[in-house]
Amino acid sequence: MSILTARCPASHCALLVIALLVAPCVTAGAAAADARTVRVAFVGEDDGDALRGVRQGLDEANAQGRFLGWQYELVTVNDAAGAHAAAPAVVVAAVPADALRTLAAALPDTAVLNVGNDDDSVRMQCIPNLLHTLPSAAMRADAEAQWREAHPDSRATARAWHATFEKYAAAQLNRRYQESQGQPMSDRAWAGWAAVKLVANGIVTANTAAPAQVLGHIRGDIAFDGQKGADMSFRETGQLRQPLLLVESDAIVGEAPVRGVVDSGNLDSLGRATCPR
Amino acid sequence: MRTALIALLVLVAGASQAGTGRVFVSNEHDDTVSVIDASSNEVIKTVPVGKRPRGVGVAPDGSEVYVAVSGDNAIAVLDPQSLEVVRTFESGDDPEAFDVHPNGNIYISNEEDAKASVYNPKTGEKIAEIEVGIEPEGVAVSPDGSRVIVTSESTNMLHIIAVPEHTIVANILVGARPRAATFSADGKIAYATSEISGEVKKVDVETGTILGRMPLADDKAKPKDVLLSRDGKRLFVAGGRANSIFVLDSDSLEVLETIGVGKRVWGLALSRDGKRLYTTDGVDHQVSVIDTQKNDVVATVPVGKFPWGVAIDD
Repeated sequence: MSILTARCPASHCALLVIALLVAPCVTAGAAAADARTVRVAFVGEDDGDALRGVRQGLDEANAQGRFLGWQYELVTVNDAAGAHAAAPAVVVAAVPADALRTLAAALPDTAVLNVGNDDDSVRMQCIPNLLHTLPSAAMRADAEAQWREAHPDSRATARAWHATFEKYAAAQLNRRYQESQGQPMSDRAWAGWAAVKLVANGIVTANTAAPAQVLGHIRGDIAFDGQKGADMSFRETGQLRQPLLLVESDAIVGEAPVRGVVDSGNLDSLGRATCPR
Repeated sequence: MRTALIALLVLVAGASQAGTGRVFVSNEHDDTVSVIDASSNEVIKTVPVGKRPRGVGVAPDGSEVYVAVSGDNAIAVLDPQSLEVVRTFESGDDPEAFDVHPNGNIYISNEEDAKASVYNPKTGEKIAEIEVGIEPEGVAVSPDGSRVIVTSESTNMLHIIAVPEHTIVANILVGARPRAATFSADGKIAYATSEISGEVKKVDVETGTILGRMPLADDKAKPKDVLLSRDGKRLFVAGGRANSIFVLDSDSLEVLETIGVGKRVWGLALSRDGKRLYTTDGVDHQVSVIDTQKNDVVATVPVGKFPWGVAIDD
């Protein structure tokens, strides 16, 4: 198990690594003196986009938390046993569908956020603590179908994110991701960022990092700002409802839901919104 | 006694500020400011100011108009009489919104830097810099100048800054993407809009308690600017993509009226007498002029591309 911490002075990071105690990594004048530490566990590739997105989310969670007395640390683990042993507030995972199921079963009261897998079947299982910030394959297929209906000659592909996206303060997120992580933000990076960011918003709003309460809160009407212009929340399937981008030749040509084909506010026109009955 | 004192202050303020009656509108996409004569509702001059002008404000004595020129990292200073840019000064990275303090200093949000900065616009000197949350945007100075609110859009907070200490005394969580805030006349209450959660929140500034919340029923509402009527009883909210101004009861937050204006309305300015409300309708490239007694649009004035901010020298 390795412990990483997001952006704090080296001396404080060292303290955290050694002692795993409540971190005094607080710099702002008005920040609470006793920051409460929240542990976020990550399972997945060590040097992947998902983890970079999670790191970006941690940086931003700490930028918020320092004003409100919360401190976030990242723990990377190898599997469900490691995640369980880490006793995190939430688990963020970029692993295959079977491993997602195993993780969710091993920590039944803790939110497991899938940021790397687009398999629809795992969403259709509607596992109560398994949430998905990466759009499903069906969502992307629906977005592409809507786009083709409006533009029959176009072969655009649907994406969660694009590094050239500028609207809705996407430019600001792309810029700070590029600066901090040294590369353009990809779909999985966005999904990782979004997972941590919405969890942090939930923790400061609910004022608790107790796993079951965090899970309950983020499954509610969170109106999450994923910097794509819409308020996002989780469907009963555990999928984060969100607009998608249509990309052709590595350039953004449109957004879905596609205006004129469906109501542009109807995020549930992408993929399956409800659980099988 | 208190009423008499306020009446006296209003008289003195009125007497010292016979403004030009001109309305200044920043046009974000064509790098200009449109100047409207409020008596005729016609544009009398279009002034080039620099790249991507956004926030606009007027000096307390009406002697100067300030425009945040985001793309040039500067504030342009206009003479409201001659309508010339008399100077510009460097203002930190990407200045967006700002407010003018009663002492003449301006408080600016620097969006890319997660900072608010304080400048003396007479000298261009930076007086202070305050670290705030990610993507700071809205800035509001309390009427007595003792507090400043800066909203941070990506950390969902109102940062309450004490003046002159320039320290943060409270951080208040509100809905997703808070874009603008305004104080009540006594400075005790603040109202803030949240663009993504589509709501207005009413906040006790000292305790940080949320006193009320009103989601705007139109799901296209992406509220931006917010202002109180001169009597403090009504709250005007620019509804963004709802293409409307919402008029709320400032006490209950109940929506009293919805006034249709142009597309993507963001900026608001109220005349000193409170009778006219000016709105920037970005996508329609126009300013709407509202009679606040009748809650009707009495004029629309074509301006430059994508008008953003508006301020009145009256």
